[in-house]
Amino acid sequence: MQMKEFKVKWGMVIDVDKCTGCGACMVGCQVENNIAPMTKKDPYNYVQALTWDRDDASNKLKTLTWLYVYELSNGKSFPEHETAYLPRPCMQCGNPACVPVCPVVATEKNEEGGIVSQVTPRCIGCRYCMAACPYHARYFNWWDPIWPEGMDKGLSPSTAVRPRGVVEKCSFCHSRYLDAKDQARQDGNDPMDLPDGAYNTACADICPTKAITFGDLNNPEHKVHELAKGKNAYRLIEKLGLDPQVYYTSEREWVRKLGDNYNADGGAHGAPSNSHG
Amino acid sequence: MSVARRAFIQMSVGATVGILFTPTVWTLLDDVSIWTQNWPWIPTLKYGEVKGVPTVSKMCESGCAVKVRTVAGEAFGTEGNMDNPLSGGGICPLCANGVQVKNSPNRIAAPMLNGEEITWEKAEEVLVDKLAAAGSNVAVISGDQTGTVNELLSAVLTGKQSDKFYTMPCDMQVSDRAWTGLMGGSGQIGYDMENADVVLLAGADAFESWGPTVANMKAFANNEGGKFIFAGPMQTKTASVTSKWVPVPAEGMAAFTLGICYYVLQAGKSVPASDFDQFKAMVMAGYTPAKVEAATGVKADQMAEVAKQLLSASNPVVVPAGSVAANAAGIALNLLLGGGMKVLPEFAAAVDGAMTRSEMLKGDILQGVDAEMVIIYEANPTYALPEQVKAGFTVAIDSVNTETTAAADLVLPSLHSYERYDDLASPYGVASAIYTMGAPVSKPASGAKDARDLFLAPAGLDSESFAEVIEAKVEAIGADMDELVEGAAYVLEETPDMSGVTLAASALGKAAVPVKGTGAVGLAPYTVLSVGTANQATTPNAPATISNNQLVGDNMVVMMASVTAKKLGVSVGSKVKLSGGNGECEALVQVFEGVLPGVVAAPLGMGHTVGDEFSKGKGDNVYKILTVSSEAAAGASTWAGSTVNVAKI
Repeated sequence: MQMKEFKVKWGMVIDVDKCTGCGACMVGCQVENNIAPMTKKDPYNYVQALTWDRDDASNKLKTLTWLYVYELSNGKSFPEHETAYLPRPCMQCGNPACVPVCPVVATEKNEEGGIVSQVTPRCIGCRYCMAACPYHARYFNWWDPIWPEGMDKGLSPSTAVRPRGVVEKCSFCHSRYLDAKDQARQDGNDPMDLPDGAYNTACADICPTKAITFGDLNNPEHKVHELAKGKNAYRLIEKLGLDPQVYYTSEREWVRKLGDNYNADGGAHGAPSNSHG
Repeated sequence: MSVARRAFIQMSVGATVGILFTPTVWTLLDDVSIWTQNWPWIPTLKYGEVKGVPTVSKMCESGCAVKVRTVAGEAFGTEGNMDNPLSGGGICPLCANGVQVKNSPNRIAAPMLNGEEITWEKAEEVLVDKLAAAGSNVAVISGDQTGTVNELLSAVLTGKQSDKFYTMPCDMQVSDRAWTGLMGGSGQIGYDMENADVVLLAGADAFESWGPTVANMKAFANNEGGKFIFAGPMQTKTASVTSKWVPVPAEGMAAFTLGICYYVLQAGKSVPASDFDQFKAMVMAGYTPAKVEAATGVKADQMAEVAKQLLSASNPVVVPAGSVAANAAGIALNLLLGGGMKVLPEFAAAVDGAMTRSEMLKGDILQGVDAEMVIIYEANPTYALPEQVKAGFTVAIDSVNTETTAAADLVLPSLHSYERYDDLASPYGVASAIYTMGAPVSKPASGAKDARDLFLAPAGLDSESFAEVIEAKVEAIGADMDELVEGAAYVLEETPDMSGVTLAASALGKAAVPVKGTGAVGLAPYTVLSVGTANQATTPNAPATISNNQLVGDNMVVMMASVTAKKLGVSVGSKVKLSGGNGECEALVQVFEGVLPGVVAAPLGMGHTVGDEFSKGKGDNVYKILTVSSEAAAGASTWAGSTVNVAKI
């Protein structure tokens, strides 16, 4: 398949050796993107007695975590055991598996910047994209979002609220990109050549250990440009050839190996392929 | 009239054709399908100018320096404050949800007396009457470690000739007991992790729950070449990023630290303390690596390796946590190494008659509080210390419903951090004396007033509002109000007098001996901020971040190594009952190889019985099974060394 190239390619480099798994990024992401807290009761359901409760956040199959922090283990017993934490946003793949399967063109990789869009008003909720995404980065709204009474007044202006029945995912806080471009235009600068830090995602902003670095992978003046080429940089399941725009880095070999679980048995699935498609 | 077969068929066909041609049925069906699919409530977003307003957030133990994001003046989110050294742009997961907690339906709307809503005037009347009636038998329990509100409340006590000021059990208190109590020091201990080349976190879960978590994480991020080592009974989140984890049981931390002192003393390090010789003799005789290994199970060569790294560093620092003995041993080791441990001066007081921070930390709440009247400020002792507090009349001040407000006689709703003037003076652990202040960002929720104002007159102040006390504080410490409001921090560069400091040789010799309870397995209680703390339950968006190593459905999860599980005859998913202290907990078992064998790790902060749906009924309360034991030699009480019995159910 032919890959679309972009002049600007927004990407992340996540330093796994700095992530403590505190979860501040996940909370920040939910707040920025108007992901409602999971509530069991629906005050608008007038026949509550006849229906099941909604799911709460303990059911991780039903939560909406655009960014999810996974706990990794080296699989060894005490005392050789080690852990690491791996935050997983949408990979904004160069060659996304979700885009070609969408029957209604609700998800596209079309805009300069290389962010895979998710147009929720267009989405029909078939969830083909969820089945296609090997990173489990897409989530289905099983329930209408409900903020407990009074909490809806503090909604973020960044992201429209989605109803139940549609798929959603991380957009690299796309409205912040629009804001940064607007700001550049106002200041008389080139919106296609934003300086490093002018556009940053909520998770990268909030991270206390600055484990997440965000920027334009194509721009040599952005930190991510070099970080993505670091000797310990890798991408998740790179062998699939989806060309993710999210890179990870770790000095720990076992962490890097886990990142390519597709090849966990030493490549017995067949010859590794570096071609895209 | 009889209906013939033919007539019936004719009528049926006619009716069917009629229904097919009338639009009514189809319109109704269409309407039903549309209206049942519609949102019952359509959220609309507010648009307008987006700003980041600096202030402080007090939801986590140390407090965060934050910027509250507002759109057209309405707060919607929280981000870090790049200009403040406590934040550097980051915040903790609890404070990240500050606005949602501010807007939560769990807020207390009006003062309450015995569960009935009353007016603020009536509340003030009751408070004044009860204060007068209680005489000097009044106590304060504060959940705030850093605010000037403690000056106000302690001045109320001073006016009543009472010294019953208590903080909730915290690392700052344990450190103070070691430093000012056992070692004769003054000021507050801090640790410079940012500039250290080797950092030994001796029990301090510094990147998750110990000290100024966010500032620690910032120090870790900025410390490019530094080596971090974590010692403790389990691989906490901190241990996931340190270069090494040394498994040490909690009750053995003091002995382990003295075991390292052994090597450091052997290398010829000394310190001009009056009891240095006694300290050296005590360590060289009582805490030889072999003896420490026998007492704690930590291999001598592991201690030797850690000591070697600390000795070869140019600016090492040891960050102790746990018991008073562990803190004293850690401070002694730092004095020997001469690295990045700092002693911070205290900021000048703003309220006459206020206690010093060290005086406030003297009360031992674990020994129990018994008073005619107890004033509880933003703390939740009914949840975390259910057996310790006895009072004739309880006043609880909090912004949200908790176990403590539910049990209190008089409840005074306080404003949320973002609605009030508040401050953070040197959160425990920071490397320099630092003061941060926050002005209100949002209008108070309807009916809410600043409950602190009610204590101005009892404290002998003629100020009209607590904001004036904060102004006085800023003036007293010599900072600039405008700069503080803009989010900058004020740093005091001064070192208190260190002469007369001892190594607590006589007390440490006995206090560092590991003492363990009688239960079958050791208990490693741990804090994960997103699960909550002793005073703050989890927040609305945080449950999505809580992993199945802490909570599955409504069941708490405890972790243990596979050898421990085998010994106890349990496996992943087994339901168990943990019994210890005077209580019991139920939990599911998870095997996690990052827990010391013979130890079960349980998350603190769950099992609330009052509060919102995000915390209520979720998991079980581990505080119930902690055992309070006396650190006789250190003159303090501790939860370290708690053990439990585990039974499969």
